[in-house]
Amino acid sequence: MKRRKNWLIGLLICFVAQGAMHRGAVYPTWKKYDMPKTTGIAVGLDPGQLLAAMAGFRELVAGILWVKADSFFDSGNYDAVLPLIRLVTWLDPHQLDVYATGMWHIGYNFTDEESRSDRRYLPAAIALGKEGAKQNPNTYEMFFETGWLWYHKIDDQYERAVGYFEESAKRKDMLQARHNLLANAYQRSGQVDKALELYYKLYDEADTRFADDGVFQARQIRDTIENNLDTLIVRMIQRGYFAQERKDGSFETGPYDVNPPFDVGYSVKLTVEEPKVVRFEGTWNVLPVGTRIRVVLKDANFPHSIAGGADWDWGDEIVMDPDANLTFMQDQFYVKNRRFNKKIDMSRDPTIYPFTSDEYIVEYYYNPRSAAAHMQDKFGFNGEGIADSNFLNTEVRPGQRVIFAQMKLTRDQLLRRGKYRDEVPVVMTKNFKQSSTEVRGSEDMIVVPNLRTIEKKPEAKPKAPVLSKPRANPIAG
Amino acid sequence: MKPIMAIAATTVGEAIRRRVLLVILLVGLFFVMAAPGLSVLSARQELTVLKSLVLGVIQLTSAVIAIVLTVYMLPNEIERRTIYTILSKPVLRWQFLVGKYLGAVAALGIMMSLMTVVMLLMFVIQVQVRDFNRLSELVQGPAMFFVQMSLLAAVGIFFSTFVSPLVNFFLTGGIYMMGSLFNPMFETMASNPNMSGFAKNAAWLVNAMLPNFADFNIQNRIINPESVIQNPMVHYMNLTVYGLIYIAVLLIAGILVFDRREV
Repeated sequence: MKRRKNWLIGLLICFVAQGAMHRGAVYPTWKKYDMPKTTGIAVGLDPGQLLAAMAGFRELVAGILWVKADSFFDSGNYDAVLPLIRLVTWLDPHQLDVYATGMWHIGYNFTDEESRSDRRYLPAAIALGKEGAKQNPNTYEMFFETGWLWYHKIDDQYERAVGYFEESAKRKDMLQARHNLLANAYQRSGQVDKALELYYKLYDEADTRFADDGVFQARQIRDTIENNLDTLIVRMIQRGYFAQERKDGSFETGPYDVNPPFDVGYSVKLTVEEPKVVRFEGTWNVLPVGTRIRVVLKDANFPHSIAGGADWDWGDEIVMDPDANLTFMQDQFYVKNRRFNKKIDMSRDPTIYPFTSDEYIVEYYYNPRSAAAHMQDKFGFNGEGIADSNFLNTEVRPGQRVIFAQMKLTRDQLLRRGKYRDEVPVVMTKNFKQSSTEVRGSEDMIVVPNLRTIEKKPEAKPKAPVLSKPRANPIAG
Repeated sequence: MKPIMAIAATTVGEAIRRRVLLVILLVGLFFVMAAPGLSVLSARQELTVLKSLVLGVIQLTSAVIAIVLTVYMLPNEIERRTIYTILSKPVLRWQFLVGKYLGAVAALGIMMSLMTVVMLLMFVIQVQVRDFNRLSELVQGPAMFFVQMSLLAAVGIFFSTFVSPLVNFFLTGGIYMMGSLFNPMFETMASNPNMSGFAKNAAWLVNAMLPNFADFNIQNRIINPESVIQNPMVHYMNLTVYGLIYIAVLLIAGILVFDRREV
């Protein structure tokens, strides 16, 4: 009897001790590091997978599902990959490759017949990146990947990319070479001083590392940063950045590459040749190749719409199926011999371009910040060197001078219905002139300055006065 | 101590001779060895998936072995009447139970060690992982699974003192599932503002009483090395101590039940 009592006392002590141990030492660590941060039942797991996941085999199920996703990817069944990405990240929110690959897949791989991205997926890609960064705050990767999506894919609102790149740069595991991208993002967001500061800091760090290690890779990184730093300083000088900062009038009178601003003479004509098939023709008085003018066709009431696109950060919810009623097309005009002519066929992708709205907006947008470096040499970091009699705009992107034009179309026009069945809808800017593609005289051509030709640079005169706003309704038709 | 060790040694021998356990073990080993065949993913992802699959297979196989090994342990002795010959000798009932448990854990340890060695060989030979630190990180998973499975074996032994093997199989499996699930469930309940205070307290109590198998699932940070944890060794020590105390609870409870049982 006494022995049984001793066992009972021992049982009681051990029971209390295990409870104290669990609540005091084990559970807090589990909660901090191992607790799944996404809650709710994952719809889409079959009962066996759900059972396995519930029984503590989340990573095993995640691994199997990711292998399955990979096979779907290889067979081109992209739609089937989407729910699997969500499931795998729900089961194991620390699988960085799934987040990163998922973001890339959602953001880049859904395209129409002419390889234009279906940008309606971008909110899901960004939300996935944000969740990945939240779930894995100790590593730089998801911050970097989300920043890259803003920087490269969205290619606008560069301050968003800067925010994510700055967060990734705070993490110690950030790869050295990737820090340079933050400097590029600073430049594109107009924070050129910060880019310069960062290059100096990176150079000092790289130089110290090379002095300590002496290995080739350290030297290579240091030399790359040095080259980037030199290039940026030269650009800042030649584009008159330092002169502008001095605010002593030297910028306005100095022989800087951005002076005087060059009138690009933008004009465009839109023709709906067939239902959902639109031809764009226009002018752009810049001779060297490299100009890409963004064109956007979207519902007049497209959610989170901004001039020249949309704000693609729609919140934290990851919605893998975009609204089937939304239409958003984005493409670019490549200018050759100062003209562009592009036919965009949206008739073959009814799921991407459903055209269910009654009204549509067509926007043309050129931002010097997104331009190639040889274009920026003339147009400046923020468009100081660009002008246009009709479409220069300083309001749609505060602090920048961009080219922006907008047209309206109706559903009947785009689908060639009603009176447009026989009448070809044409909308054009008032300054549009139909002409041949031959290059005219050199007087209205831009000579993009470079280090060799700066002495020989002809004095270009602006073709038209520089305006901060477009004139009243320059769109005809 | 001597009777306990003798019973444990006999139990290990019996366990190794049981075909059903060997079949489960062979299936587990096959999957561990076949896992590198999934070499279709990117280099890092391949390693991530590979680790998750291999560790998952080891854990799953070990859980099945632990349950199958223990649910039959006492009922078989009683059914075959071999228990009479043992208990007629100077062996106390608690010594018999503890000996049986230690034997089961030793057999489990041997089988898990075999799977771990195969896993390491597979990573060294087929995946070319030669870094000692990375390999030792990998071993941390099975090491914690061993504590987890020892706890599961204790659950099985406890129930085997008073229920039939079939019922025990489902009971132990159910406890394992609940123990794996209750931590996240409790956390969801605790953070739900619509839950009543009574329900939250009841959940807290159940969470403190149930063996929490989820705590031992440390494989995530092995699979994803980017997710770091402060003082991992202290955490693993805490887990081991927690596991040992809970095993003691279950064994003592088993002894108390078995002591009163008519055999």
